[in-house]
Amino acid sequence: MSAAADIIRVPKAPTSWSWGAALVGLCFLLACAAPFGLNGYGLYLLTLTEIFALVALGLNLLTGYAGQISLCHASFFGVGAYATAILTQKAGLPYLLSLVAGALFTTAIGALVALPALRLKNIYLAIATLGFGVVLQKIIFEWRSLTGGGGGLALTAPQIAGYELGATGLYYLTLAFLTVGLFGAWNVSRGRTGRALLVIKESEIAAGSLGINAARYKVTAFAVSAFYAAIAGGLFAYLVRYINPESFSVGLSISFLSMVVIGGLGTIGGSILGAVFYVIVPELLRGIKDAPGLVFGLLLVTVMVFMPQGLWGMVRRLARRSAR
Amino acid sequence: MTRLVIEDVSVDFGGIHALKDVAFSLESGSIVGLIGPNGAGKSTLLNCISGITRPSRGRVQLDGTVLSAMSAAAVARHGIGRVFQHPELVADLSVHDNLLIACHRSLDYGLVSELLRLPSVRQQERAAADKVASVLSRLGIADSAGTSVRSLPYGHRKLLDLGRALLMDIRFLLLDEPIAGLNDSEIARLGEILLGLRKEFGLGILVVEHNMPFVSRLCDRLVVLDLGQLIANGPPAAVLSDARVMSSYLGEVADA
Amino acid sequence: MIANLIVGGLAAGCLYAMVGIAIVIVLNITDIANFAQGEMAMVTTFFAYWLMDGVGLPWWQAVSIAIVFGLVQGIVIQQVVIRPLIGGPVLSAIIATLGLNVVLNSLAGLIWGHQTYTFPSPFAFSPPFLIGGVHVSVDSVVNIAVGLVIIICMTLFLRFTWTGLSLRAASQNQTVARLMGVSITKSSAIAWGLGGLVGGIAGILVAPSLFLDTNLMSALLIKAFAGGVLGGLNSLIGVFFGCLALGVAENLTGAYLSPSFADAITFIIIIAVLTLRPEGIFGRVKVRKA
Repeated sequence: MSAAADIIRVPKAPTSWSWGAALVGLCFLLACAAPFGLNGYGLYLLTLTEIFALVALGLNLLTGYAGQISLCHASFFGVGAYATAILTQKAGLPYLLSLVAGALFTTAIGALVALPALRLKNIYLAIATLGFGVVLQKIIFEWRSLTGGGGGLALTAPQIAGYELGATGLYYLTLAFLTVGLFGAWNVSRGRTGRALLVIKESEIAAGSLGINAARYKVTAFAVSAFYAAIAGGLFAYLVRYINPESFSVGLSISFLSMVVIGGLGTIGGSILGAVFYVIVPELLRGIKDAPGLVFGLLLVTVMVFMPQGLWGMVRRLARRSAR
Repeated sequence: MTRLVIEDVSVDFGGIHALKDVAFSLESGSIVGLIGPNGAGKSTLLNCISGITRPSRGRVQLDGTVLSAMSAAAVARHGIGRVFQHPELVADLSVHDNLLIACHRSLDYGLVSELLRLPSVRQQERAAADKVASVLSRLGIADSAGTSVRSLPYGHRKLLDLGRALLMDIRFLLLDEPIAGLNDSEIARLGEILLGLRKEFGLGILVVEHNMPFVSRLCDRLVVLDLGQLIANGPPAAVLSDARVMSSYLGEVADA
Repeated sequence: MIANLIVGGLAAGCLYAMVGIAIVIVLNITDIANFAQGEMAMVTTFFAYWLMDGVGLPWWQAVSIAIVFGLVQGIVIQQVVIRPLIGGPVLSAIIATLGLNVVLNSLAGLIWGHQTYTFPSPFAFSPPFLIGGVHVSVDSVVNIAVGLVIIICMTLFLRFTWTGLSLRAASQNQTVARLMGVSITKSSAIAWGLGGLVGGIAGILVAPSLFLDTNLMSALLIKAFAGGVLGGLNSLIGVFFGCLALGVAENLTGAYLSPSFADAITFIIIIAVLTLRPEGIFGRVKVRKA
């Protein structure tokens, strides 16, 4: 049996593996060296990109793999931000602990949001999640005693083991979380959960006939994506040092979704590229008089029309062509 | 020996009686053909057994366990495999990976282990890939392993669906028109595969088909449905010469 | 008091319904949720305003030309942006409409600036009706009447004309429709044209009450989607009643439960309805054969 398996198992081309690994390694090294080459603003942008990449990774699992549209991820992001901030600032817990505890709390909310959403699809699911987003944002706004309401919360620099975390420290912490998050997402994509989600997206009937409990996996996908968004939110809160409910609106949820689609839905590389697009491109357009929004919108439309598989799809096509 | 019992199953869709008091049983190790004109309710009956449709009356039982009260996923977990008339495969994945999905139930690592890709995960994944390889060679489509499903011919999609069912540790196999899209040599091979499955694993097989020669060569028994009702149940030769069966297919038989 | 709230809610709901009808026409025939619908309507409305203010045309002429502009705008957008995306992933098309949303908003801002204009209505000085002791403005009555007329016309069109029939065929099953000689791109163009037309009417009816600026339709868009989902997005009547219901629910919760939570509560109601009936109140389930 095993001998046949050796012959029949699909061989993975060794060249593409080593190129890919080398590229990832190079990016990682560059990322580690970044604080030495960038000024304060550049480092801020890079940290923000990595934070958004974390959100995109989680959302990609939910929308790209499980096929569930969510318009409330800005709220998971916001709840994570507020939970971390409140636990650190008001309860006095260590930053890292608040980050994880806040994320676990948000994960529970994500699982709850998934439940009514189990029977919904497409635009119906989008509107239902949008509704949840509105409700969560409203709760943050109204619970003034806890969250500071519309006035927002101003935050002091976080500490790890007694050392204050400055811009560089926060950058490395974000990079660490992103690396772990990438590793986790990649493993899920190669594991039984990732495959189960793909079947569920394709056909719930097929999933049923394979003994896969679609409901359980949809809830898992919502929960995991909420976790990613919440960690990102907790990092974001301390990057910008001031959060208010307005920042975590439907518009941001729509941006998150666009980010994942632009990058390439269902691909992990796409999550990174989408975040880069969303942070860097508006920065580049900032100089254009009168119409940064116009150009950005045009770019969005152009990318979608000419690259429906997203930026990552284009990268893969170019790589394949140059390999020939 | 295990027995799958369809007990007086009726299905009503609004005012339409898709199935009316259908009763028969399927033993492990036997191959039964389900035939009947179009619209007779054959796919509906398969859906009832698979748990996709709930019977309005009656039950489906597997050795005393009532399947008709369960979800489709639970029914699949009890060992009922299904090959669909229009298989829904994951278009973005290769043949190999589509089959790997079917190993889902045999992999039992948790989410955290999966996130960390622990050694136990790697080991189980390798074992699953081996199982997939052996199913691919049994079905004779091993060289398509890396092909994307999108470019697969229709008949091979059915074979892939069969492969998925086989990877699931099943005791009964339901096939909905499995030879549509296959050429003669492929049809012969499928027949051999099914006979082999019966011999090696003692599977009970229920086949919905329109191809009479295929069905009478392969099956121990034929069950005939017409307009939702069971009108014959017996060995192929007897059933195919039954006057009621002939008239259901051909309309009224003229007086000889 | 409650009668006033209900009438006010119906009037607001009507505004959502106008946009909702445009959305549903495009959604049902091309499977794309057009997130640029509001901005398209806004551009058409600004065009009408320019015809009246800059060119000096009377209301009826300006509005008639603008409505045709809306139709053309829809077709042009479909040909340039949507046609290349037919057959691809739906989410890509939706994100493209989001991009379009931004483009149109910025364009309008560049051309007409960010001030607020007053958009005239021929009924502005007519006295309100008195129905059952409640004052109902003529605008509201006109909105509801126009909404119903559009629904009736669309339903007749879809059911009793060859074009309408081919549109419905295209929405059900593209392959079979093609085999019967229906051009999918042509159907898509007609659908988007109709969406642009109806959206333009919506904008022109909405503008007098909400004042014309580049953000005229952005708040309405989400409400239109929400009301449509509540009523069931695959039926024109469903969208109409869903949006009306949404308007009334908002007013009532705002007055009796909590003004600040009105939005949140109406969404909770929508989610509750969807939990019990995932296809919306009047929606029909799409049957899938195993």
